[in-house]
Amino acid sequence: MIDKKGDLAKIVGGQYVLNDPETLEAYSKDESFVRPRKPLFVVKPQNVDEVQGIVRWANQTGTPLVPVSSGPPHFYGDTIPTAAGAIVVDLSRMKRIIKIDPRNRMTMIEPGVTYSELQPELAKHGLRLTTPLLPRSNKSVVSSQLEREPTLIPKYQWTLLEPLRCLEVVWGDGSKLWTGEAGERPPSLEEKWRLDLAQLDPLGPGQVDYYRLVSAAQGSMGIVTWATLRCEILPRLHKLFFIPAQKLDDLIECAYKLTRVRLGDEMFLVDGSNLAYIVGEGIDEIGALKESFPPWIIIMGIAGRSYLPKERVEFQEKDAATIVQQFGLKLMPAIPGARGEQVLEAIISPSKERHWKLSYKGGCQSIFFLTTLNRVAEFIRTMYSVAEKMSYPTTEIGLYVQPLQQGVSCHCEFNLPYNPDNERDVSKMRDLFTQTSEELLRQGAFFSRPYGIWADMEYNRAAQTTMMLRKVKGIFDPNNVLNPGKLCFG
Amino acid sequence: MALEDYRGNMQRCTRCSYCKWVLWDHLKSWRFAKGCPSIGYNNFQSYSAGGRLAVALSLLDGMISYTDGVLDIVYQCQMCGACDVACKICRYDMEPLATLHELRARLVEDGQLLPMHMFIIDNLKKEDTMIAGKVKADRGKWAEGLNVKDLTREKAEVAFHAGCRLSYDDGLSKIAKAAVTLFKNVGVDIGIMGKEESCCGGRAYEIGYKGEFSKYATNNIEAWTNAGVRTVVTSCSDGYWAFKRLYPEVGCKIEILHTVELIERLIKEGRLKFTKTIPKIVTYHDPCHLGRQGEPYIPWKGVEKRIYGQMLVHEPKKPRFNGAYGIYDPPRTILDSIPGLELVEMERIRENAWCCGAGGGVIDTYPDLCSWTVTERIEEARATGAEAIVTACPWCERNFIDAIEKSDIKMEVYDIMEVVQQAI
Amino acid sequence: MTLPREAYQVLEDIVGPRNITEEPATLAAYAFNFGNELYPPYANRFLIRPTAVLLPGSTEEVQAIVRACNRYRIKYKPFTTGWGGIAGVRGENSIQLDLRRMDRILEIDEKNMFAVVEPYAMGGTLQAEAMKVGLNCNMPGAGAAVSPLANGTSQWGHGPPTIYFGHNSEVLLGIEWVMPNGDILKTGSLGSGVGWFCGEGPGPSLRALIRGDIGAQGNLGVFTKAALKLSPWPGPAQLKVDGKPPAYHLSLPENFRIYTLTFPNWQAFADAAYKIYDAEIGYICHRQWHKLGKDLAPAFFLMYSDPTKTLDDLEEMLKDPEIQRFTKEMGMPLPIVLAGQTPNDIEYQEKVLDQILVETGGHKVAKMSEPDIEKLTLLYFIRWGHKNLNFVYAGGYVGSWHQYGTPDFIVKYAQVAEKTLSKYQATGLLVQAGGDAMMGPIARMGGGGTFSLEQFTAYDPANKKSVEAVVKYILESAELARDHGFPSGFDEMTALRMKGAEGSQAYLESLPDNQRFQWQWKIRQMLDPNDAGETGTYWMVKPKE
Repeated sequence: MIDKKGDLAKIVGGQYVLNDPETLEAYSKDESFVRPRKPLFVVKPQNVDEVQGIVRWANQTGTPLVPVSSGPPHFYGDTIPTAAGAIVVDLSRMKRIIKIDPRNRMTMIEPGVTYSELQPELAKHGLRLTTPLLPRSNKSVVSSQLEREPTLIPKYQWTLLEPLRCLEVVWGDGSKLWTGEAGERPPSLEEKWRLDLAQLDPLGPGQVDYYRLVSAAQGSMGIVTWATLRCEILPRLHKLFFIPAQKLDDLIECAYKLTRVRLGDEMFLVDGSNLAYIVGEGIDEIGALKESFPPWIIIMGIAGRSYLPKERVEFQEKDAATIVQQFGLKLMPAIPGARGEQVLEAIISPSKERHWKLSYKGGCQSIFFLTTLNRVAEFIRTMYSVAEKMSYPTTEIGLYVQPLQQGVSCHCEFNLPYNPDNERDVSKMRDLFTQTSEELLRQGAFFSRPYGIWADMEYNRAAQTTMMLRKVKGIFDPNNVLNPGKLCFG
Repeated sequence: MALEDYRGNMQRCTRCSYCKWVLWDHLKSWRFAKGCPSIGYNNFQSYSAGGRLAVALSLLDGMISYTDGVLDIVYQCQMCGACDVACKICRYDMEPLATLHELRARLVEDGQLLPMHMFIIDNLKKEDTMIAGKVKADRGKWAEGLNVKDLTREKAEVAFHAGCRLSYDDGLSKIAKAAVTLFKNVGVDIGIMGKEESCCGGRAYEIGYKGEFSKYATNNIEAWTNAGVRTVVTSCSDGYWAFKRLYPEVGCKIEILHTVELIERLIKEGRLKFTKTIPKIVTYHDPCHLGRQGEPYIPWKGVEKRIYGQMLVHEPKKPRFNGAYGIYDPPRTILDSIPGLELVEMERIRENAWCCGAGGGVIDTYPDLCSWTVTERIEEARATGAEAIVTACPWCERNFIDAIEKSDIKMEVYDIMEVVQQAI
Repeated sequence: MTLPREAYQVLEDIVGPRNITEEPATLAAYAFNFGNELYPPYANRFLIRPTAVLLPGSTEEVQAIVRACNRYRIKYKPFTTGWGGIAGVRGENSIQLDLRRMDRILEIDEKNMFAVVEPYAMGGTLQAEAMKVGLNCNMPGAGAAVSPLANGTSQWGHGPPTIYFGHNSEVLLGIEWVMPNGDILKTGSLGSGVGWFCGEGPGPSLRALIRGDIGAQGNLGVFTKAALKLSPWPGPAQLKVDGKPPAYHLSLPENFRIYTLTFPNWQAFADAAYKIYDAEIGYICHRQWHKLGKDLAPAFFLMYSDPTKTLDDLEEMLKDPEIQRFTKEMGMPLPIVLAGQTPNDIEYQEKVLDQILVETGGHKVAKMSEPDIEKLTLLYFIRWGHKNLNFVYAGGYVGSWHQYGTPDFIVKYAQVAEKTLSKYQATGLLVQAGGDAMMGPIARMGGGGTFSLEQFTAYDPANKKSVEAVVKYILESAELARDHGFPSGFDEMTALRMKGAEGSQAYLESLPDNQRFQWQWKIRQMLDPNDAGETGTYWMVKPKE
């Protein structure tokens, strides 16, 4: 008879093996509609040796593992066990900021480090990390980056994995690898740092880009125990502007132009509702803001950093104003209901407590996918069409479009608030979510991060991809212990 | 020189592929990116200059033997020199075109002959012309009615050399007539050899028959010298190249001019004025042998030496022929001077020009390659919106005319002399 | 070795009789490449001849060929422009797939800034077509004559414009890949049938398998199409070039600047690199000239800019005190092209650059801003069509001390690299161009952060002693790098190839930590169960059971 608790206690220490009902309940479900399932235990390792120990043990005992790094609320179902008897490996104890290298704008952090913890430390060294849109304060930076959450500054996205660089990965077979240039000689971090190497080159080692294999893998290929990230320089001057529009088409064309010439820093597009969800708090305030905000807005940040910050902001502001004018639009420091400084403060900070998506009605489903800017309007039409059919008010839909990879593609996100305590609302929302997802998929949306029901939908139309991914999984996690049942893995 | 003397070239080719393409700096489109017709048509590496250098080296080293394939590789090439120009963008030590010439000469020496070449050379030996089936007796017919000095009996400063194509091609011989008439009328002391004119020998050289070439070169130089000639003028770019680039190696010191150079000179001296308007949009095709291969040439004798360890240089300084100083401007100056004429340029011009397809013996031996090459050029001309192609070589003209006639393309073809004649 | 007739017939039926050959002369031409003399049997520029050469014209033909190879147990090796010894076959019983006929630019999506290309679409042609719509491509470091698709998937990837454009593996979007077993995999959004625009996902990215820091090198099937991200080109739709070869000129558009900066020492050079990264300026930035050696490069460049001069003039020119002064001034150069997307942008970038120069003690080399020289260098840097200059001195070049890392790291190893090359140059068996012959882009990845430098080693491939000296130098350099604890860089790969197949395998197996080579073995087993494709430069160690 295997004494799983005892075995795990030997690896991480007894106090870090949890199976009280409250804990198991908390890890069994999240904000998504993914079916809840309780894990058998929750373990909280401290370091990579313990993680390796757990993974090796899992291989020996055939125990599924579900890696988790962030605190709640989780939204996409990737941290809910799919298989029975799973152990949640909660990495939130691994909170070391191992290194901040200001000259090389690199930070090396463990998976438990959150944006709230990291940004102030980076700021002491004149750095910051480009973030996604209002991550929650207990969101793991590593997890966010691994899952390719879109960040706000398109010009820095050389790939969709930016600013993620090198990793320490424990694969599903328990072996460990340093990816990218970290995997090259010399063997230790100290020796590398003595040579002034900074673990910034993510390619390899050798002829495989290992970091891509754990990217958007929902913890099903390997567990990352540290990551390096390329930081931006903390702005000395930072302004935020609004480009409001009545017609979406004008705004799309404007967004194309601005991203193409790499003007500005933060750049994304929202509808009035989504801006209200970002800026407001509570149903009343948000309701009022929705009324006053224009239907579509580009949010554009312009930062001055180390060199001639004032001149940079000035000229970029001038040039942006000239460009937006070509589309009959205006670059504005404020709009009724919101000022630039206020929104800037909001978007470069983690979300306040009561996550911004949940602030309006208590619950929110997000449908997001990748596409190109010129197709956004047709996807919006689909979203609206399904919403209308299902009597979901289109005024509730929060649109967030994030240009990516310097303008090549974009993340298109529909935020759908609802009341999770109302059974009817929940049922309607489940149907709305499913039907909209299906229609968007048919229309050409690319669910590149296939959570929940999107997994089957996406992999069913990518047969060769599915087959190959399963083969790759067979190499790196031969006993299928890492988050089985996610993506296309059985 | 012998093929072995180019071993260094063969060993130092880097397979950079520049020899296959137009000069990168000048490349304007995907459509007209190719520089070498041979590999453009055949695609295998061996059909590029670099590929032929590798073939030559493997022959020298006994890695391969002669096969029909080797002949095909060596002779499916117009010897246009685009590869030479492209290679020399970066290399001072390489002579790809010269190596290709030597490779052909080696094949001929070793008895590896294309049957059609044998037929042409036989004709040359018997009838002093490279045009198969033509006889010497008919050579001077193009000049009937021309009242001009006979250099076999009289002396003149300038000899007009018609060349085989203009002598025997009924459709084109008017060009020679027009040129001689023009020059005589402006007071140039000019004469012709008429029936006694012989082939320049250039084509023989190009297909590897160096011995035959030498005979014709020697004979021609002697004939001109006897006639007191100080300048040879020709409207045939192939002949121009032979006289300017090959003849100095056998001691020729006579000034060589193409018709376009003399006309340009006359324009600059005010002795020639264009009075008629020609409202036409034309594009100009740079003949290979007038353009990139038409540079002033100085024979060189010297040695290779090493400096700074292994760097290869020459002593004395070796002149460089990379197409920089070819005859590109005179024809353009002429066309620009003609009232009403609008010159629109193709993408591949000057030292970058795409071959018309006729050269290097290909017109006689590889009709498919010839046809593909000329069609490419015609497409390029059409893409400019021009109504006509103007050029300065009867081999190019014949090739364009024949190709257009066989197609449903509507495009006129003129020798620059014809355009000049219309404008005066 | 010849192909079995049945197999030959099957292959001929796939590509057509015009597109297959067993002609020995053609096979020899494919065995020929620069650098082959450095590898066993160290004889000449010929390595192994393929048994046949095929010219497929489509993905369908490629797939049929790969399947036939699997069926008949014939190895195959694809290449595009084939510049460099990686391209040729490595073993007997191997056919060469020359992808020359697959040269189309299928689409340029101007709005979403990407191009879909076939493998033989070269940097020069892609750039020319992209410029027509205001876009530009990351020109590979090897220049306009090579394939950005191959550069991104299979070999290297960084180049002069990487700082602005991204590494060619970063710009890869959807890829169509005929895998070694003959199946076709489309990666990213392409695999889901929704277009070329995304290279990642769904979920983990399968393009992880093909790239790494060096690329697949023709060992993992055939990449038959790829979408490549482009970047904005704020210049003219067509380059208006004049001048005489080789010194062609491009006049500076108003919003462009080109300077050759120079710095007092390596540290200042490194500091400047950091500042350029942080300031986010630079469209193209590449330490180019020094590939021809610190002692000779400046004079060489002046010679090169004069169409009436040749290499024969160099020795005399170097006696000129003015040129000697210029050589000294160019001791630590860094050419940079600034391109402003707007007039204000270029003005800002200029000011920032000036400030960086003040802070680092650098300056702009005045001579390099003289009109004709400025025009030559601008064209050189934009079109990158003079890469064969790598070989100008004697026809031989090999990269050594080819490392990448932070500028501070570069400074550390560059000084060791300079000493080592100087020692070998002193023997007279290499070109004595100066111990600092290091060339490379300021950015190995988009936005910078890591620099890549390569020590250019010029030798005469026709001189056996020169070749032997180079082999010795490379092997010693690899050892020295290891002794200093430097990363293996790309030299390890060169050194491995110099050891030959058996020697390199023994070396890999001896490494204490060769796990990544074991992963590669497993990946390759998975991708190519019949072992049909070549593996000569896909480094693997079979895991011990």
